[in-house]
Amino acid sequence: MKNQVNKILIAGEGGQGIQTIAKILTLALEKTGLYISYIPQFGPEQRGTPSVAFIQYSEKPINYPRFNQADFLIILRKRAIPIVSKYISRSTEVIFDSSTIPRTSIQQTTNKTWGIPATKLTEEHFDSKSLNLIVLSAFANQFLQYSHNALWEVVLSVLGSKFANNSQLKLKSKEAFDSVEHFNFENKKYSRPEYDVTSGIILKKNQTRRAVVIPKFCKGCSICIEKCPVRAISFGKNLGVYGTPVPDVDINKCIACGNCFKFCPDNAIKVEKLSN
Amino acid sequence: MKSPDYNFAMPDLLNIKTKPSMFCPGCGESIILKHLGIVLKDNHLQNKTTFIIDIGCALLSWNYFNLDTLQSHHGRSVPVAVGYKTIRENRNVIAFMGDGGAYAIGLQSLLHAAFRNNPITVIIVNNTDYAMTGGQMAPTTLSNEITTTSVSGKDPKEVGPAFHGPELVRQIADKNAFIARASISNPALLDTMLKKAFKTQSENNFSMVEVLSICPTNWKTNAAESFDFLAKMEKVYPVGEIIQNEKPSK
Repeated sequence: MKNQVNKILIAGEGGQGIQTIAKILTLALEKTGLYISYIPQFGPEQRGTPSVAFIQYSEKPINYPRFNQADFLIILRKRAIPIVSKYISRSTEVIFDSSTIPRTSIQQTTNKTWGIPATKLTEEHFDSKSLNLIVLSAFANQFLQYSHNALWEVVLSVLGSKFANNSQLKLKSKEAFDSVEHFNFENKKYSRPEYDVTSGIILKKNQTRRAVVIPKFCKGCSICIEKCPVRAISFGKNLGVYGTPVPDVDINKCIACGNCFKFCPDNAIKVEKLSN
Repeated sequence: MKSPDYNFAMPDLLNIKTKPSMFCPGCGESIILKHLGIVLKDNHLQNKTTFIIDIGCALLSWNYFNLDTLQSHHGRSVPVAVGYKTIRENRNVIAFMGDGGAYAIGLQSLLHAAFRNNPITVIIVNNTDYAMTGGQMAPTTLSNEITTTSVSGKDPKEVGPAFHGPELVRQIADKNAFIARASISNPALLDTMLKKAFKTQSENNFSMVEVLSICPTNWKTNAAESFDFLAKMEKVYPVGEIIQNEKPSK
């Protein structure tokens, strides 16, 4: 294994911290004295489009930072799958967030598909910001046999300035990081993708009004909640396109003023009066 | 089974296939585009309009509408629009750009288009920074505002105070030109101003609407804080039609 070039591909959505964990992993592998290359790939947008990191490490010098087939592929968001599916070969070990991605949406013929319900773990026990660290910790321990404590040192060196301003964040991140030290990746029997985007539309109706929320357009910016004059909107349980909760309209409080529709940047909500 | 009506909250002109759009969550620019779509539809301009977009976050509006769209170089959507309008006199031409494109790299084009009274509509989104590249300081950045290139606040002695574009353009524009500043905090007023801008263009005069917008990603604000900052911007940049020969407020 050590004589060849090992290729790791990390894919997710801009804003999830893909490039942060790629950087941490690169620095950690560099400390072991190996040759290493890392190159990011993302679009011109700041949020919400696929963000991919190419990492290679080897005992021999590496000539080119890009590659065609990955040995390890980490997928953290469903929307990144079309971009990275061409890097999957029969020997690729695919690690995916089983709480947001259904296993069936990944084309992999072998059984080398490993699930970690990262979103579920972070939403239920920790801060959602620690999602990338959970995956990094579990992956490095299980697949690279990297020392847990040594990796945390690298995390501190990269995220130290962020933690310095917020000691609570550091504590929570450490807790999340430690919780998956000996995580058993799911194989064949995966978690239910309960944090996947809610399909269809959400319709609320009474005699005089009806409200429609479309989760696949909602990015969870909460402007409708802020702009509702009667506080009839709050975050509900369904999830939108970025894994954020979508608004839930209390149709009996609603006065159908239309503010939510006027201010929604993504055309995900509308309330209208019903004519009798 | 009938498929769900995803079109329900989508104004007719918008291209549903490209949604969710590439804009960040809570982006003010997509609120402006939504209202632009509503106004164009209400005034039956869909088949008459050519939409010319600039570099910057404005280019994320590529394919946003079911409209004829052109992509220009940075700051050059105004001269491209002027050239297009020269040949196609009957089209309703919109140059859509950010404050960086309009007031920094493309200011000369904008000034001369206003000076010549070219019959186009310029829509400028002002979010006080260069949003696509990471929120750097722009001419429109408010005094003492913190951005990634003014980490201790913009120093007006060093780099000048907030840039009042419409007031500057007003000084040399034709008296029949419509120059105004709107804000996304008041979408109804934005609709009215856009409607008036297209009417001005149809009367062969220059029109320009600057829209104050929010940028939660680069301002690092939530919804409530974004609109608080927008209220602060509205104090520096007064909203309304700019009347001729009015001196810009400092």
